Amino acid sequence: MPDGLFIFFAALTLGAALLLVLSRNAVTSAMGMILALVGVAADFFLLDAYFLGVLQVLVYAGAVMVLFLFIIMLLDTEDPQGAYPWKTAALGLAVFFLLAASVLWLFHWSGAVSTVKAGATPPELSTNPAEFVTAAKAFGRLLYSKYLLPLEIAGFLLLVALVGVVSLSKDNPENQA
Amino acid sequence: MSPDFSSLVHWILFLPLGAAAFSALFLRRAGGFAAWFSTAAAFGIAGLSLYLLAQGADVRWHVELAKFGGVSLGFGYLLDAHARLMLFVVSFVAAWIHLFSVGYMQEDAARGRFFAGLSIFMFSILGIVVADNLLMTFIFWELVGFSSYMLIAHYFDKDFAAAASKKAFIVNRVGDLGFILGIAMCLSLYGTLDFAALKDHAAAAKTIPVAVGALLMCGFLGKSAQFPLHVWLTDAMAGPTPVSALIHAATMVAAGVYFMARVSFLLAPEVLQFIAISGAGMAALAGLCALAQTDIKKSLAYSTLAHLGIMGCALGLGHPELALMHMAMHAFFKATLFLGAGSVIHGCHHEQDMLKMGGLLKKMPLTAATFIAATLSNCAVPFLAGWYSKDAIIEAAWHDGHLAIFAFLSLAALATCLYSGRMIRLVFLGEANSEEAAHAHESPWTMTLPLVVLGLVYSVAGGFLASTLLPAGSLQPIKPALDAIAFHLTAPSTIVGLLSLVLGFLGALKFYGSVRGADALQVVSPRTYHLLEHRWMDGVYRWYVDAVQRRVAEFIAFLDLLLINGVAVRWIGGGVPAVLGYLTGRSFHRGQTRAYALWIVIGSLFLAWFLIAR
Amino acid sequence: MENTALAHHLLLAGLLFVLGLTGVLVRRNLLVVYMCLELMLAAATLALVAFSRFNRTMDGAVLVFFVITVAAAEVAVGLALIVALFRKRGTVQSDALTTLRD
Repeated sequence: MPDGLFIFFAALTLGAALLLVLSRNAVTSAMGMILALVGVAADFFLLDAYFLGVLQVLVYAGAVMVLFLFIIMLLDTEDPQGAYPWKTAALGLAVFFLLAASVLWLFHWSGAVSTVKAGATPPELSTNPAEFVTAAKAFGRLLYSKYLLPLEIAGFLLLVALVGVVSLSKDNPENQA
Repeated sequence: MSPDFSSLVHWILFLPLGAAAFSALFLRRAGGFAAWFSTAAAFGIAGLSLYLLAQGADVRWHVELAKFGGVSLGFGYLLDAHARLMLFVVSFVAAWIHLFSVGYMQEDAARGRFFAGLSIFMFSILGIVVADNLLMTFIFWELVGFSSYMLIAHYFDKDFAAAASKKAFIVNRVGDLGFILGIAMCLSLYGTLDFAALKDHAAAAKTIPVAVGALLMCGFLGKSAQFPLHVWLTDAMAGPTPVSALIHAATMVAAGVYFMARVSFLLAPEVLQFIAISGAGMAALAGLCALAQTDIKKSLAYSTLAHLGIMGCALGLGHPELALMHMAMHAFFKATLFLGAGSVIHGCHHEQDMLKMGGLLKKMPLTAATFIAATLSNCAVPFLAGWYSKDAIIEAAWHDGHLAIFAFLSLAALATCLYSGRMIRLVFLGEANSEEAAHAHESPWTMTLPLVVLGLVYSVAGGFLASTLLPAGSLQPIKPALDAIAFHLTAPSTIVGLLSLVLGFLGALKFYGSVRGADALQVVSPRTYHLLEHRWMDGVYRWYVDAVQRRVAEFIAFLDLLLINGVAVRWIGGGVPAVLGYLTGRSFHRGQTRAYALWIVIGSLFLAWFLIAR
Repeated sequence: MENTALAHHLLLAGLLFVLGLTGVLVRRNLLVVYMCLELMLAAATLALVAFSRFNRTMDGAVLVFFVITVAAAEVAVGLALIVALFRKRGTVQSDALTTLRD
C-alpha cells in the first residue's frame, strides 16, 4: 500500500481534474485546473523534485492560470443553456473507461513496462551532482553546461511567442472579417 | 609576421549586412537618410579594403559550424592576393556607385528598399570574395542571386522588370544546379570543401575528373552570363542604372570569373578548352550584337558579355591572373560607362534610346569626357586601363598558339571599337534628335564626382594600376605574366589592336554619321541588323520549354492524375471514408474538431497497441 | 514516501492524461479544451519526473523545466489565437467552428 500523502494528493489531483472536465462553468473548470496543477506539484515534492514543484506552482498554477482566468473573463462566454448533454457525457464516459482500461492494461498486464516491478521504493539519493539531486543548484549547473543550447533556444522561443502574441492581438483591420 | 587582420575582415563583411538590416528595419520611410547611411558604410568598407590591399596581408580564419561524420562545414576567410584585389575592386567601385545612386535615385519613393538592397548585395559579394570553402561560396552565391533579383525588380510594378528579374533568377538557378552538384562531387571525391585542402588534393592527384570542373563551371556560366546561359544579362538592364553598373557590369558577373580563378586547380584541361573557345566565340558575337541595340544600356550589356567572354577566354587559356586583371580593369571602366549612361539617361529625362540622343558633348561636358575616356579604355587604346589587360589576353592566345581563339578575340576587339565609336557618335556628337536631348542638363555633383573619380583617375590611369600597384606586393602573381606578354609594341596583339582601333573607331564615327535619326546599319542592310538583334537563344529556350519540358510535364501531370489522384486518393482515400460515411450517416465529417481529435486518438491507440503488443 | 513505487506515479500520470484527453474530446468550450490539453502536458511531466527520480538521473527533470517553459509560451500564443478567433467569429464553442467541413 502506498504512502498516505501520495494517496491524498493523487485523489486531490484526480478529483480536481474531474471537476475541470465535468464542470459546465468555465471559471469552475479553471479552479479545478489550478487545484490539479497544485496536486501535480505536490507529487513533484513527493518525488524530491522540489525546484520543479515550486516552478509548477509559480508558473503554471500562478501565471498561466491567471492568464486563463483573464481570458475567460474577457471573453465572457455564457454557459451553455438547455438540457445536460447526456449523449456527450455518455460518449465521454465510454472514452474515459476505454482509455483508462488501456492504461491499466499497459501497466499491469502487458508486461511492457518492466520498471514497474523493480523496487517498491525509489533508490537512495546520492550527492553526485551528475545524478538526481534535489538542489536547484544542480539544475543551474546542467542548464548552463549540457543544456546550454536548448536553454538559449527556449529563451528565443519565448521572445518569438512574445512577438507573435503582440502581432496577433494588434487590432488589425485585415483580421476583421 | 603581420598582425591578425581577421577582425578587419569581420568588419568588411558585416558592416554592409548591418547597414542593410538597419535600413530595412528602420529606414524604409526615411529614404534620404538610408541613402547616406549605406553610402557611408560602403566608403568605410572601401577604406578598409584599401588598407588591407596596402598591407598585403594574408588572412586565414575559420570557425567550424557543424560536423557530419568526417565532413566539416564551416565559415571562414581565405584572403590571398587575388581576394585582396577583388575585395578592393568590388568595394571601391561599389562605394562610388553608392554615391552616384544618391543622386540618381533622388526622386525615387522606395530609396530605403533600394539602398538596403545595395547593402545586402555588398554583403553577399564580399562573402564570395573572402570565402574559404565551397559551401560558404555557394551560400553567398545564392545571396548574390537573391539581391540581384531584388534590385532588378526595383520597379516591380512594371511588367518587363518583374519578368526580367524572374528570368535572371531562373537562368541562374539552372547554372547553380550544376554548381551544387559539383560541390557534392567534390565532397564525395575529396571529403572536404575547403579551398586549401582541395588544392592539396588536386596537387596530389594526377588527373582531375572532368565532371568536377564541368559542374563547377555551370555556376560560372550562369552567374557570369556565359554562353548558353547569357540570355538574362541584357534583360537585367530593366533595373535602375546604378544596379546595372554595380551588379551586372562591375562585380557580380565578375564574381564568376573570380570563382573560376579560385578553383582553377580543379578544372580539367577539357573544361578549360571549352571555356576558352566558348568565351572567345561569345566575345566576338556579343561585340557584334552590341551594334544592333538602340537602348544604350542594352548595348553596354552586350559589351559586358563580350568582356566576360574575354575573361573566360583568359581563364581557359590557363591565365587566371590575366582574367582577374581584366576583371579589375573592366570593373572600373565599365562601371564608368554605365554610370555615364545613367547620367545621360538622367539628363535626358529617362530617355534610353541612343537614336534619340545626340549632341550631348556640349550639354553634359563632364559626363561626355568621362564616358569617352572610358570608351577609349574599353577599346584598349594604348596606355589606358583596358589595353594592359585585354591586349595581354590576346597576346597570350597568340603566344600559346591558339590561332582560332586569337582570330575570334581580334574580331571581338574590332567589334568593340565599332560599337564604341557608334555609341559616341550617336550619343555625344552630331545634333540632338529629340526634345529631351535638346534640353539635357548636367547631373548633380553626387553623380559627376563618381564619374570623374572612376573614369579619369582609374580608366585613364590604368598604367598606374598595372605598374605601380602591382609591384607593391599585392599582385605579384600577375606581374611576371605582364612582363612576359604585354608591353611589346611590335607584338601581333598590338598590331591587331591598333589596326582595329583605327579602322573600327573612325569607320564607326563616319558610318553612323551618315544617317540621322536611324541606325545606319539598319538602313544599309536590314537583314544583317535583324540577324544581330534577334535573340536566337531565347527562341531555343522557348522551343525547349514548349516542345520538351511542357510535354514531359503534361505526361507527369497525367500520371499524377491517374495514379495519385485517381487510384490513391479517389479509390482509397475517397473510398474508405465514403463507405464509412455511408454506414455512419456522415458522422465523421461534420467539420467538428472534436470528432477529428477522436479519430486521431483512436489511430494513436491502434499504433500504440501495435508497437507494444507486437 | 517510503512505499510509493514507480508504478503508482505512472498510474496517476496515466489517469490524469486520460482525463485530460477525455476533456479534449468531449468539451465544447475551446478554453476548457485548452486547459485539458495543459492537463495532459502536466501528466506527461509527472511521468518524466517519476522516471527521472527512479533512474537517478537529472535529464528528465531538466526536460520538464523546458516543457514548462514551452508550455508557458504556447499558452500565451494559444490564448491570443483564441481571442483573435473570438473577435472574428464571436464564439469559442468548437461546435460552431465547422468551416473544415466544406
